[in-house]
Amino acid sequence: MSEANTTQTEDASQRTTDDAGGAIGGSAGRTTTGESEERIEDHWRNYEFAGEPKLSVEDLDVYYGEEQALQSVSMEIPEESVTALIGPSGCGKSTYLRCLNRMNDRIKSARVDGSVQLEGEELYQDGVDLVELRRRIGMVFQSPNPFPKSIRDNVSYGPRKHGDISTGLLPKLLGRDDTEQREELVERCLRQAALWEEVQDRLDDNALGLSGGQQQRLCIARCLAVDPDVILMDEPASALDPIATAKIEDLIEELAEEYTVVVVTHNMQQAARISDQTAVFLTGGELVEYGETDQVFEDPESQRVEDYISGKFG
Amino acid sequence: MTDLQYRIRDYRQRTAPGAIAIHVLGAALFVAAAGLFWRGSGLFGVPLLGMVGLTAVGWRTHQGETARGLTLLAAALTVSVMLLIVGYLLVHARDAFEHMGVELLWMLEGPFWEPPSPEGNYSLTPLLVGTALTTVIATMVAAPIGIAGAVFLSEMAPERVRVVVKPGVELLAGIPSITYGFVGLVLVNQYFYAQFQTPTIASYFAAGLMIGLMSLPTVVSVAEDALSAVPESMKSGSLAMGSTEWQTTKSVTIPAAFSGVSAAVMLGVGRAMGETMAATVMLSHSKGIPVPFFDVFSRYGETLTTVIAQEAPNATGGMHESALFAAGVVLFVSVMSLSIGAQYVEWRMYRKLGGES
Amino acid sequence: MSTIDDTGVVAGVARLRNATTLPTMALSLLTVLMGWLVLFQQVGETNEYLGLPIVELFAISVLVQGLAIGGLGVASYVGALQSTSDRTAGLFTGAFVGSLWAVVTAVLVTVVAGLRMVYWPGSSVWIFSGIPVPLGILLSLLGGVVGFLAVVLPREDLGATLPVSALLVPLGMFALVGPLTVPWTYEPGWTTVVFPGSEVLPFAFFVTSLLGCWTLAKISEGFGATGRQRGAYYLIGVSVAATLGVLGMLVYFIVDKGFATLSTGASFDGWGGRLVLPVVDWAVPWFDANLPFVFNQPGGLFVDVPGVWPAILGTIWLVIGALVVAVPLGIGAAIFLTEYVERGRITQLVEVVTNGLWSTPSIVFGLFGMAFLMPRLSNGGRSMIVAQLVLGFMLLPLVLITSREAIISVPDEYRDASAALGVSRWKTVRSVVLPAAMPGVITGVILGVGRIAGETAPLLLVFGGQPYPSTKSPVSGGKGILESFSFSLQPPFITNSALTERGTALPFQLYTSITAGSSPKPEVFSLSEFGWGTALVLLLVVMGFFAIGVASRLYFRRKLNYE
Ligand SMILES: Nc1ncnc2c1ncn2[C@@H]1O[C@H](COP(=O)(O)OP(=O)(O)OP(=O)(O)O)[C@@H](O)[C@H]1O
Ligand SMILES: [Mg+2]
Repeated sequence: MSEANTTQTEDASQRTTDDAGGAIGGSAGRTTTGESEERIEDHWRNYEFAGEPKLSVEDLDVYYGEEQALQSVSMEIPEESVTALIGPSGCGKSTYLRCLNRMNDRIKSARVDGSVQLEGEELYQDGVDLVELRRRIGMVFQSPNPFPKSIRDNVSYGPRKHGDISTGLLPKLLGRDDTEQREELVERCLRQAALWEEVQDRLDDNALGLSGGQQQRLCIARCLAVDPDVILMDEPASALDPIATAKIEDLIEELAEEYTVVVVTHNMQQAARISDQTAVFLTGGELVEYGETDQVFEDPESQRVEDYISGKFG
Repeated sequence: MTDLQYRIRDYRQRTAPGAIAIHVLGAALFVAAAGLFWRGSGLFGVPLLGMVGLTAVGWRTHQGETARGLTLLAAALTVSVMLLIVGYLLVHARDAFEHMGVELLWMLEGPFWEPPSPEGNYSLTPLLVGTALTTVIATMVAAPIGIAGAVFLSEMAPERVRVVVKPGVELLAGIPSITYGFVGLVLVNQYFYAQFQTPTIASYFAAGLMIGLMSLPTVVSVAEDALSAVPESMKSGSLAMGSTEWQTTKSVTIPAAFSGVSAAVMLGVGRAMGETMAATVMLSHSKGIPVPFFDVFSRYGETLTTVIAQEAPNATGGMHESALFAAGVVLFVSVMSLSIGAQYVEWRMYRKLGGES
Repeated sequence: MSTIDDTGVVAGVARLRNATTLPTMALSLLTVLMGWLVLFQQVGETNEYLGLPIVELFAISVLVQGLAIGGLGVASYVGALQSTSDRTAGLFTGAFVGSLWAVVTAVLVTVVAGLRMVYWPGSSVWIFSGIPVPLGILLSLLGGVVGFLAVVLPREDLGATLPVSALLVPLGMFALVGPLTVPWTYEPGWTTVVFPGSEVLPFAFFVTSLLGCWTLAKISEGFGATGRQRGAYYLIGVSVAATLGVLGMLVYFIVDKGFATLSTGASFDGWGGRLVLPVVDWAVPWFDANLPFVFNQPGGLFVDVPGVWPAILGTIWLVIGALVVAVPLGIGAAIFLTEYVERGRITQLVEVVTNGLWSTPSIVFGLFGMAFLMPRLSNGGRSMIVAQLVLGFMLLPLVLITSREAIISVPDEYRDASAALGVSRWKTVRSVVLPAAMPGVITGVILGVGRIAGETAPLLLVFGGQPYPSTKSPVSGGKGILESFSFSLQPPFITNSALTERGTALPFQLYTSITAGSSPKPEVFSLSEFGWGTALVLLLVVMGFFAIGVASRLYFRRKLNYE
């Protein structure tokens, strides 16, 4: 980019950064008004597509104690596609993702207002079976969190807990041992996650002994083993080298044929490569632009999104 | 040795001559005081006073180096207390070990204990049986309920309950054992005597129950610490795959904290084993091996700790006292191995959870 | 994909299941509670409610639970009850229920067949072609295995229910129609003790209802993973509550009975009195109250209400002495190990040593004091100074451990910042590290003091004097400790004749009131009344230290979190 261009936009970026400071510092009130004024100035585009949405989110507000992390986010996610979420650090991408499978319930200070629907069924209402919900909406976390168990047990954990696979002494006694299915499953999932080659000889080793990138892929494999409908991935390639990243990107595209995938990423080229539609969040927890990926990257409506994408701030 | 020489040279280069003088003089005075004290001379106060004076001088001239010397002295003293305890126990127990040989630990026919005769039998076998019985009963109370309590507090209880019960449990862990003993004597022993017709008013069963109840809060408290040290991200990982909270507790949290939880149990067992007062007050102090050996309601009642508490104040030296020290040695060795075992598993847990993630 | 797609995430409400399980669960919880109360003698085992003796009510309750559990299990199996049953009820349930089956078989075998459980010289065994066979044990093991298999083999809704039902229903029936009644007794054979029905039955009802409650909780969620979660929560919640109840009751007893003693002869006339502080002898404004049990000595001719004042003083002096020994040594050693030595083998060794020292039984410290310190400090006799040293040594590892933790947790940036300003190592420690670590150290010390203030065993060996001293001094001979310091120009320059006397302290006073055999003044207090009072005062003192320690830890933690 040219020198002149940078100076021109400096004012705008300066202002937004100040606002970011305000949001993190806790003066939510000020930020809210500031941002919403800006939204009116900005052009806001929402993505419209044919067919029923898999997930639809309406007016989602999330607060951590007094601090607001998401501001009335509405967005509909189509089935069997890849949706990328991008935005600067701390803008609420992970928070948004955690709302989709109600993992925010675990955080005591978190409060969620608004509506999230899975195939038309409201997730924030009484009587929702969280176990069933999370079985259908799988998640790969931002930082790898394998269990302190063997690699094999990590991958087969979900199916075992759901009673789809039973191995061990008791099933053997009962003559219902699923060791073979388990081995097949472990291999298939590890292959999909591009990890099989590296670990096939040490499936019994403790997963905490793997490298960070390997752990990341193990968590992906673990999630695939449950066979969910929707897969939420929070920066799945953040700790990976280019080769593994490429493999994961291939995997994501492959998965989109069958599953609904929502991916958070900081890598805009990656988002452009793999996703069908992209949502841009900006500091303060606001969804600024959501649309077809090509359009968002080539011709964003909002000036701030354009600035962000061209790397001028954020 | 070159390492030591290197260190000495390093020390001399870095330290001012005055400070070195203070260090050397202080060390000499301390050795003198320790030597005099060891030999039982009341004169040990003289070099000690000298040290006080020296410290005063050193504090004004070379404060940093004096402080360093003092802290070194403190560390050395701490370690030497431990060594002294072990050494003195062993020295005093030697006679009994020589007198009884293997029979000190393993003897099936009485008479087991014939104080104050220097020639008589002194066998710890009935006391070992007593310690084993009370410890096993106590562990059967404290381990399962302790772990359940810890799981309840860290994984199930709502925050409001937790903030009240956790400090409450820690308070309970502080109730003196003599208090448990008194309640046990007045209420529990009476209860078993009246309702179950125990042969004497005391029984291993009642004492074991009381000791178990007593070590329970310790187990809960330590195990709870271990369980809540398991990172939230691990639990989230499990929940996000659609397993229930209980499955997460069972398959992720408890296995991840396994070392810490078992260290808690070992600590509880150690406390139960070394527990003195509740047992002293609640047992009958008659020595013998019950028939069958696990008859926890028999008329016998003496453990390694109670025999010391009961008889050491009046023992008049000689073989009897030496046998009591032998009981102390056995006790010390058992509890020490438990403690080292617990530290080892805890260290492993640290490695496991700290590893890479 | 799987069949999951067809089902929604909102769980339907299973009305039939709730309508049947919830009232039964309430019944079993009530039975657990009442069983507990009867077991701990808070409710008489012959009480009558609703016109029926309580044992019969228990029996009916267990019978109802058993029938309900069995019925619901079968209903779920045949599909009449909505459920998501697993393939098996699992190993833990199997082991738990199986071991109960083993116990029941053992009782049956001894009562009905008259077999001895144990192969032991003198007990009857079944001789099979010259080989003694412990038939009783074999049979009860067999019972356990059968129970285990009955749980584990069938589908969960049958395995988790029917074997439980098979325990509950017969128990309820036999308790209702006999022979399991209050006068019934069980003589196991391996011991002379007799288990009376009045105690065994409430215990059995307690255990079986707990079992029932657990199973019903599983049924109420329709088995499966969620059912097990519900079951586990109930099982654990109820057992923890029952145990906490026992501990709570223990404290309640001490407070309740001790208070009667404590308030004997007490009077309160508002403000305006004076209290002479122990140790420093200052008079401060205080209530014009009279609390003879606290402020009197236990013995002597002219004491109307015997009290524990010397023991309180003794505890205070012991704590002071222990602090003087342990705090400088412990903090000094902690500083040396963290600030002056690299982390490595030496620090690791010291850590192992201190942890070991902390778990060393107190009686062993007593032995050490007796053998090493007594001959050197008080001519072989028991004495205050030796007791102070011994308790100090016991406190030392805790002070060392907590100080070290506190010092380590001071961030290195502080040290670096200070060092970058050219401040010497010791000055950094003194002005930056120690102040930051102080809260942790103080908390640790207070908790440790609570521990040693209640310590009794070593006192028997190195301190204990007369059971009921007749002066207010904590040591024998009635000397005051501060007054007894004397200085001379001859070595050892300072002597204190009071410190080399034996004496009394609160836990020791409680011990003597158990062993002395007679109360100091039988016309005022019986022996156990004096004991309850002493126990309460001891508890208050120790709990006071602990409460301060726990509170200060919470306080400092909060402060840290908000910074
Ligand atoms: N558990 C929590 N408690 C309190 N505040 C939180 C919590 N988690 C997140 N926040 C706050 O919510 C805001 C959004 O956080 P979030 O983790 O969703 O950001 P993000 O977009 O995922 O950032 P990154 O790209 O760095 O992962 C941040 O300001 C953060 O400080
Ligand atoms: Mg994030």
